Amino acid sequence: MIMPQGSLFFASLVACSTLVAGASDGPARPRGVGPEFAKFYKDLTTFSCISHPAIEIPFSAVNDDYCDCPDGSDEPGTSACAHLSRHSALTPADRPGYSDMELAAALPGFYCKNKGHRPSYVPFQRVNDGICDYELCCDGSDEWARVGGTKCEDRCKEIGKAWRKKEEKTQKSMTAALKKKKALLVEADRKETEIRDAIKALEAEIQGQEIKVKNMETDLADIEKQEASKVVKGKKGGKVNVLAGLAKTRVEELRNALAETRKERDEARSRVKELEEILSKFKVEYNPNFNDEGVKRAVRSWEDYAARETSEDLENSARDRDLDEISKPDDDQSGINWEHWENEGEDGCEVDTVYKLAAYLPPSLVRFIEDKALWLKGFLENNGVLPKTDRSPDTESKVVTAARDAVKAEEKRLGELQNQLKDHQSDLETDYGPGSVLRPLKGVCTTRDSGEYTYEHCFLDQTKQNSKKGGSSVRMGKFVRIGSVTKDELNNAGEIVPVEKMTLEYANGQACWQGPSRSTTVVLECGEENEILKINEDEKCVYSMKVTTPAVCADGQEGTAPPRNKDEL
Amino acid sequence: MMRVQPSSTWWTLFLSLVILLGCLVIPGVTVKHESFKKCDQSGFCKRNRAYADHASAQSSSWSSPYALEQSSIHFKDGLLQGTILKAISATETVRLPLVVSFLESGVARVVVDEEKRMKGDIELRHDSQARKERYNDAQNWVLVGGLELSKSATLNPEQEEGVTKILYGPDNTYQAVIRHSPFNVFFQRDGQTHVQLNNKGYLNMEHWRAKVEVPEGAEAPPTTEDEGTWWEETFGGNTDTKPRGPESVGLDITFPGYSHVFGIPEHADSMSLRETRGGSGNHEEPYRMYNSDVFEYELNSPMTLYGSIPLMQAHRKNSTVGVFWLNAAETWVDIVKTTASANPLSLGMGAKTDTQSHWFSESGQIDLFVFLGPTPQDISKKYGELTGYTQLPQHFAIGYHQCRWNYVTDEDVKEVDRNFDMYQIPYDVIWLDIDYTDDVKYFTWDPLQFPNPIGMEQQLDESERKLVVIIDPHIKNQDGYPIVEEMKSKNLATRNKNGEIFEGHCWPGASHWVDCFNPAAIKWWIGLFKYDRFKGTLPNVFIWNDMNEPSVFNGPEMTMPKDNLHWGNWEHRDIHNIHGITLVNATYDALMERKKGVVRRPFILTRSYYAGAQRTSAMWTGDNQATWEHLAISLPMVLNNGISGFPFAGADVGGFFHNPTTELLTRWYQAGIWYPFFRAHAHIDTRRREPFLIPEPHRSIIAQSLRLRYQLLPVWYTAFHEASVNGTPIVRPQFYVHPTDEAGFAIDDQLYLGASGLLTKPVVAEGVNTVDIYLADDQKYYDYFDYTVYQGAGKQHTVPAPIDKVPLLMQGGHIIPRKDRPRRSSGLMKWDPYTLIVVVDSNGEAEGTLYVDDGETYDYQRGGYIHRRFHFHDATLSSEDIGTKGPKTAEYLKAMSAVRVEKVVIIDPPTQWREKTSVTVVEEGAKSASTATVEYHDQASGKAPYVVVKNPGVSIGKTWRMEF
Repeated sequence: MIMPQGSLFFASLVACSTLVAGASDGPARPRGVGPEFAKFYKDLTTFSCISHPAIEIPFSAVNDDYCDCPDGSDEPGTSACAHLSRHSALTPADRPGYSDMELAAALPGFYCKNKGHRPSYVPFQRVNDGICDYELCCDGSDEWARVGGTKCEDRCKEIGKAWRKKEEKTQKSMTAALKKKKALLVEADRKETEIRDAIKALEAEIQGQEIKVKNMETDLADIEKQEASKVVKGKKGGKVNVLAGLAKTRVEELRNALAETRKERDEARSRVKELEEILSKFKVEYNPNFNDEGVKRAVRSWEDYAARETSEDLENSARDRDLDEISKPDDDQSGINWEHWENEGEDGCEVDTVYKLAAYLPPSLVRFIEDKALWLKGFLENNGVLPKTDRSPDTESKVVTAARDAVKAEEKRLGELQNQLKDHQSDLETDYGPGSVLRPLKGVCTTRDSGEYTYEHCFLDQTKQNSKKGGSSVRMGKFVRIGSVTKDELNNAGEIVPVEKMTLEYANGQACWQGPSRSTTVVLECGEENEILKINEDEKCVYSMKVTTPAVCADGQEGTAPPRNKDEL
Repeated sequence: MMRVQPSSTWWTLFLSLVILLGCLVIPGVTVKHESFKKCDQSGFCKRNRAYADHASAQSSSWSSPYALEQSSIHFKDGLLQGTILKAISATETVRLPLVVSFLESGVARVVVDEEKRMKGDIELRHDSQARKERYNDAQNWVLVGGLELSKSATLNPEQEEGVTKILYGPDNTYQAVIRHSPFNVFFQRDGQTHVQLNNKGYLNMEHWRAKVEVPEGAEAPPTTEDEGTWWEETFGGNTDTKPRGPESVGLDITFPGYSHVFGIPEHADSMSLRETRGGSGNHEEPYRMYNSDVFEYELNSPMTLYGSIPLMQAHRKNSTVGVFWLNAAETWVDIVKTTASANPLSLGMGAKTDTQSHWFSESGQIDLFVFLGPTPQDISKKYGELTGYTQLPQHFAIGYHQCRWNYVTDEDVKEVDRNFDMYQIPYDVIWLDIDYTDDVKYFTWDPLQFPNPIGMEQQLDESERKLVVIIDPHIKNQDGYPIVEEMKSKNLATRNKNGEIFEGHCWPGASHWVDCFNPAAIKWWIGLFKYDRFKGTLPNVFIWNDMNEPSVFNGPEMTMPKDNLHWGNWEHRDIHNIHGITLVNATYDALMERKKGVVRRPFILTRSYYAGAQRTSAMWTGDNQATWEHLAISLPMVLNNGISGFPFAGADVGGFFHNPTTELLTRWYQAGIWYPFFRAHAHIDTRRREPFLIPEPHRSIIAQSLRLRYQLLPVWYTAFHEASVNGTPIVRPQFYVHPTDEAGFAIDDQLYLGASGLLTKPVVAEGVNTVDIYLADDQKYYDYFDYTVYQGAGKQHTVPAPIDKVPLLMQGGHIIPRKDRPRRSSGLMKWDPYTLIVVVDSNGEAEGTLYVDDGETYDYQRGGYIHRRFHFHDATLSSEDIGTKGPKTAEYLKAMSAVRVEKVVIIDPPTQWREKTSVTVVEEGAKSASTATVEYHDQASGKAPYVVVKNPGVSIGKTWRMEF
């Protein structure tokens, strides 16, 4: 879930003020005891350790700056039990007699009343360390022992005032943020309704279109039948022989060109290989610890070059064998048996010539030809070896052609409509966060200067880094999905609590030198504006951004708002 | 024309080839040997080794051509002077003045020079401006005392022909036996020879000679010697013009009866040095000392590294002796051990191993100090008298240092700082590598990344934390950069062989190097650190001097050409190994003078060092790697530095290059807390790895080890104090603590912390759940964390070491002062109470010391400190003052009066104490005795019981006793 930071804050504030009010009526509590623990310190003769009531010590041992209780509850006002934490490796004498007991500190910290401000807990390790921790303890009560002459005056009046002023502003901002969020939700709703409406309209249109296409196909079939009897066959006139002659010459030319090109390719390849060997050796042998920018840049470019392309599953030797085969002169064993062709009759000229050709090829070439049939066919056609396979107008009547074209046009239209529908449907299925609140933000961009760069975040689109010193901008990731991350935060009692936050994940950005392609996790926080607060490079080329947006502000309605697209999935 | 369209398949083919090639490229992880010389690529190394081989080959028929001229010998007031004659032909000799000083401390010093060069009676080639003398100024950079001549040293009345015998040392129990021809010296203690000079006849002083120019076309005159490396040497595309010709010095030093030699850091090798003339388990190359920026250095190698301390100690049961070879030029040391299996002279003595060392340097004098021990502590002490003791550092400097190349902005630094606090993990210092600067111009800040350094430093100061920034000796040569412009206009930079300002490449690109041999350069350097000059620095900013070997990216062996010229026209070859400390010295002076009237102890980290660096700085082992092997080697390296007088040492926790696994990182923290200098550091291409980023449970485990370090800071500071007055190592190897236990001499993977009796053996291997700790003595040792008892001398004891446990034992007989309250930084622990852990020995006694001062100023030099000795015997624990009062004592004691002992734990107390409920406490100045509560706690079998004294209320600075 997303922790509603603001409300938590507010709630605890209310809670604390109540407790303080209550406490002021009761008896004095020992130093450092928060009101919620006051009840444990009422017996003024004997104190029972809070988590282990069986362990009793005289009340005089409370706050005597010596840690008696295995849970530290006898020292609410000193640092004597500060070591009772899983961050300390304890020895038997640290909790004499109880070292086997599970370790759990009973108190959250030293309670500062902070009269004039809000009360809070200071970690025990900060009590009497000679530092006034005004941020947590504006009344200076954490330094009561005045070690080394430390004096912490009460600053709650001014700090409280400043805080209240700020808090007021925060609340105002929060109100504004929630208003904006509401607007976002309305906008999201409106957009969704639009899409739903569009889907409905499309569905109706598609239905109509389908009927239309079906009818026209029937019409076409009828026309074809009618026209079939009328068709006059085109002239034949020894075409195959002529073609075979032409093709032979052409193929011979192509074969020579292929051989020539292969030779050139091999030369180029060996030069590239040589260069690459030089570069890869260079990369191994240069000292990355040197800051020669020229060298670093060269290595970086080489890395990029070597890492940029994706591998296609290609067997080099197989390809070369194929090419060898093609390069062999034609005879009855390999290549095309031209003699056969030159003596061929006129039949079957309407059959797809390439497939016909294949029948005469030696088996070694068949697979290759088949694999590359379309390519070869196109190649031959483009070079004028084969006639275009489109039915030539002279073999078909204009009526049929027109009817066929009409069907095609309507089919195309149908396809377009179906695609539109699909797009809309998948958009509806896309996760735009609770209530699709992020939908209206898609493509909204904000920037922030940080050091020598300006960073850019475009919601659900991409993240970028632009150098201020010039140079091109670098994409730090394209949007992939909405996710979540757990961040440790301090609660009001000074304890670390995990808080789940919504994230936007961006991946597959520009590849890094000696690293992966860049990616960015945008952690969303509640805020009045869409703003980048902070950018970190958590590890090489893995960035995180802290971005505020009203979209994730907690308005307490998430639970009640009907889940929109999730249940439709 | 026919158009042949290129097939896309060829393209793919070609690309797949590229990809294939790309995959074959494996990132380089080993040192580039071709960048650094092997012995046979270093002319004088080859010549001296050949000379030794020649002498050895002739065996008994070899006669060293060096003889002490009888008539020249003169002895007075602890000083023996004379002239050694080197026969170079039947008729010619070269005069080599000899001075042997017998020092009050019992150390003997042997200096040999060359008369002709001393008088400047030679000619230099290439119109060189270089000095003609052999370099004789290293002592002014290295030595600080201990040179008082002995008043009691005397000629032994029982002289014999051809031999001069000098009695010296404590009660004249030492004797130097100087044989005149061939010249050699035996140093004896109590009638037994421990150190022999030129016993093998390898003494070699390459005297000056003019180059015989052979006219072109003419035939070279026949020579007996190979002159191939005399006049010019080329390596890695750089030619050394050698204007003075060959001038190396060499000497064999034998330690008869010693099978272990230690020292001569810095090498990534075992502490006990190996033989270097081949054979199984031995090196092929001599140990080399030529301070170098070795990229991705290899392990178990005699290759040179960043620093050098030419101090070697030989150790055997009941005796430690040593030699210190004061020469700043490139130096190599060959080591050969010979075992006489059946020595007819040592009837029934068993096999006796001698260790021969052969030292040679490219230029300079022979300047040798001989220490006759007899204990390791004596070597530390006497060597420290000469070269100075470890600076007592500011207290923060022994806390945890968090470094990374780089924290990229001031906000980044502040956030790391906040995160440590959020997770309540202590640290003291955060570091900035080169990228804080504006374009690697030192003394500037990158205006975009670090717009507000002062604000950053103030935040750190709020929890008494510090910042260390890097300042290197290379100064970017860029117009408009005032530092370089001043340096050039004042002529304060190192010059090339032609006397022009030297330009080379380093981090900033084209750079010049400040020449800190020049007093004017030092003065200028000092001025650069003043707060109004180095803008953006507050008093909590300290300095890291890196790349001071010096590292020159385009220079021969990554450093300066040897024929470069320094102030006084000394060639770089003469001073190379002390180059690093000249920069550190200047920086030290600068930090002392940042603001008039406010003097704080400087903190400087240096990568390059030489003997004497301990007075001003801490060192680390340079650019290591995130591997288990590098973790393992860090222990012998740190230990070896400790016994070599420079104990403020550490290795980059986590490994500099590459990413450590979580387990490796965790183990490295558990080991790193035992480095005197404890810093985590990481290369710019690695993932972030600050402790708070590590997922649980490892985050807590790392935090626990950090808190353990902080808990024991009183022990650490006391050990540093001891090092600062006695030169003792802060972490000590087995032989140092148990010098009579032969089985432990070579152990270099476990260590004792100071004199506290804390013994640890860090885990340095993957997937390990136990370690075997070797115990030399029969005392009981107690597990630090649960008081499990281990006992049994001369054997290994298996100690559990799961990932969350640091294998740590307490030796019986010690009292360990601790501070148990975790704080944000060590500065904030100042007022916290102490806990005393009393670990009784087999006699029911224990002892320990504690040193405390303000951790910042020099008030301690005027008595502003607390120095206590705790003693437990006869059921009484007492604290006694072992300090010396001074004008600041009372003031300091008053400030500390509220700091008390909050708890005393007695481990393995007498069982009759089971019923004890209170203890009587008597404190000086108190009107009457008081009592404190005592609790006795039994434990499961195998674990010792313990007694806890609750809040005895005694002040740490007062004399008191507790009677049980």
